[in-house]
Amino acid sequence: MEIDYGQINFKCGIEIHQQLDTHKLFCSCPSFIRDDKPDIVIKRILRASAGESGEVDAAALHEVKKEKQFVYQAYSDTTCLVELDEEPPHDVNKEALKITLQVALMLNARIVDKICFMRKTVVDGSNTAGFQRTALVAADGFIETSKGKVRIDTICLEEEAAKIVKRSEKEDIYNLSRLGIPLVEIATAPDIKDPEHCMETAKKIGMILRSTNRVKRGLGTIRQDVNLSVKNKARVEIKGFQDLRNMPRIIENEARRHLKLIEKGEELKKEVRKANKDLSTSFMRPMPGSARMYPETDIRMIRPDASKIKIPELITDKSERLEKDFSLNKDLADLITKSNKTEFFIKLAEKYKNIKPLFIADSLVNSGKEIKRRYGKEIDISEHIEEVLDYLNKGNISKKAVFEILVEKAQGKKVDYQKYSLMSDEEIKKILREIIEKNKGAPFNALMGQAMARLRGKADGKKIVEMLKKEIS
Amino acid sequence: MFPELTKIANIKSRKIASMQSEMMRFPHYNIMAKEIEKEIKSGTDGIIITHGTDTMHYSSAALRFILEDLSVPVILVGSQRSSDRGSSDAGLNLISACYFIANSDFADVAICMHENLSDESCLILPALKTRKMHTSRRDAFRPINTTPVARVNFNDKNISFMKKGYSKKDNKKLKLKLFNEKIKVGLIKTHTNMFAEEFLAYKNFDGLVVEGTGLGHLPNEETDEYTKENKKIFDSLKEMIKNGLITVMSSQTIYGRIQMNVYTPMRELQEIGVLGHLSDMTPETTFIKLAWLLSNYKKKEVKGLITKNLKGEISERIEDKTFLI
Repeated sequence: MEIDYGQINFKCGIEIHQQLDTHKLFCSCPSFIRDDKPDIVIKRILRASAGESGEVDAAALHEVKKEKQFVYQAYSDTTCLVELDEEPPHDVNKEALKITLQVALMLNARIVDKICFMRKTVVDGSNTAGFQRTALVAADGFIETSKGKVRIDTICLEEEAAKIVKRSEKEDIYNLSRLGIPLVEIATAPDIKDPEHCMETAKKIGMILRSTNRVKRGLGTIRQDVNLSVKNKARVEIKGFQDLRNMPRIIENEARRHLKLIEKGEELKKEVRKANKDLSTSFMRPMPGSARMYPETDIRMIRPDASKIKIPELITDKSERLEKDFSLNKDLADLITKSNKTEFFIKLAEKYKNIKPLFIADSLVNSGKEIKRRYGKEIDISEHIEEVLDYLNKGNISKKAVFEILVEKAQGKKVDYQKYSLMSDEEIKKILREIIEKNKGAPFNALMGQAMARLRGKADGKKIVEMLKKEIS
Repeated sequence: MFPELTKIANIKSRKIASMQSEMMRFPHYNIMAKEIEKEIKSGTDGIIITHGTDTMHYSSAALRFILEDLSVPVILVGSQRSSDRGSSDAGLNLISACYFIANSDFADVAICMHENLSDESCLILPALKTRKMHTSRRDAFRPINTTPVARVNFNDKNISFMKKGYSKKDNKKLKLKLFNEKIKVGLIKTHTNMFAEEFLAYKNFDGLVVEGTGLGHLPNEETDEYTKENKKIFDSLKEMIKNGLITVMSSQTIYGRIQMNVYTPMRELQEIGVLGHLSDMTPETTFIKLAWLLSNYKKKEVKGLITKNLKGEISERIEDKTFLI
């Protein structure tokens, strides 16, 4: 039976965590996530501490009761004492702060007067300090969606947690290479109308984040947590969505679970749940209480200045611009913007006036994939294409040669452009006459076949046809 | 906060002062010593002092000198991560100290802190030969020119002694030799391009510890047209020593021994009365010892005692495996 989400008083909001593509938030280590053999391994115990408010947190207690040891793996060359909780944080990464302010402006949010980092108690071992540093950067924004405005309650800048390697009864192993990567956390108000709308909202926020051009890409670099409740009962948080396309079904299933429990008169618990592969959810841990935050006194308060922050063009706007200005089709335009090659493409298209932008775009985004598929070789097209297009633009090589040259480059060969150079009209004429002379009386198609065999890659096919016709008549 | 402690010992705790350790002055050493005396008289088996880490090694040295004929252990414990956070090292340091007191016959002043970055073991460190060697690491406290006293393994609760001789619990009667709170001792670090004024700031002091370079140098010779100030430094120091300033050399290398016979400039310093030859005390221990000697002995006696090993502050032999450990 179809659910009427208005009827069941479906309340839903989403929290998005996106890694930024800068160095770490509170030290100068690179944001380099790795899983090779660590050269540093240390063991720690975390305790539930009272924090400054004196209250011990419910979620914290839940973890400590397990009495676990934590093993941390680290690397001398890409992690430092800050990740190991052996050195206080450095000043906040200015680049990460700038990107967060950009995102805040793109989400129409109000930037706070003072940014104060807080310590959020986390004793599951994922932070060596026993807390995560987080700061509210902006509030009260919104995005437009097909079902109306979705308000953005908060935009925070925080530290990424360490990556779990292995959990066992006695100890959990974490890798510290991920700890401290800057994360932007965006939380919407419960304005999401239904499961489909949730996916749309997640996608739109994702697109806005990518438009900064400074976010990390790939598996695990963006995460969505969905909060939902029905009929004003307990709120549940769902973590671990692997594929956005499954989001609507998982949310629908969770809503159905709530409805079923309510119908049976059973108690719904406020808890954090995990999205499963079969699109159901399962219990992860109790919902964290309010004693989780207290001020991070090692970091001075920051007065943000957004006056000089430039708002980047949205990816969707960029795509539309490419379609219009360079007569590209939507797919190709999207491919260029998604692969972050917009500026590079525009530069090439404007520089090489004799080449159709469509050809440049296609070469830029597709030839690498094609070479990988056909020859099994990796090549960074952006690095080589300018040199090749230069030859094409001057008329020294044929369009067809562009791909062949890129293949040679991918194979690590030294390219002999001489080999691909086009013949002059005089030279072509000479060869055509030779062929006609040797094959007197032969039909046009036979002559053309021979001409193509000798002139392939040295002259444009159309041109050969025209010149051959002229010579025969 | 640490329920495990009650399984190890009966603990009575009270606050005798509360401040950041860099704020401490000589009266605080006397307060601690008197409180320790009170506790020992009431029959305690051991004492733990929780202490700010920055000057914990000054306090351990001061207490070691003040407390004569100590019959129970006095262990100073600090933490490099504040105890508001789950990752604090306070718990392990405190539990290890408590366990060490309850399960060994050790009766001396020592520091108990993390051995390395893991929450696995703590070191019991000698009161007079330990120094905070890092601004922030858990294992910042290291023995200097000697080995740790013992290791307390947290997981298997094993205590292993690393030093052969140590004072053991007995029925000696504690005596206090307190600090004279009016004593003025300075500690000056030498550097290139020094000025005589820097030394002259101490002219009304009772004692001065010089943290010299290398084997025990300070810029005291005029070697060319640019080094006239050095001569002034030498003359000023000579004058101040003549007027009663007890001046003791230590080294900013931290590790190793002072040897003031090796080069001419140092021999000149010895001639004007700079002491410290063959000492391997840290600058901080030298400072505390000089102040304590000046509090309890005549100046003439101080000059002889400063380089004499009284309580383990000077090692006659420095073993190879004591460097950077």
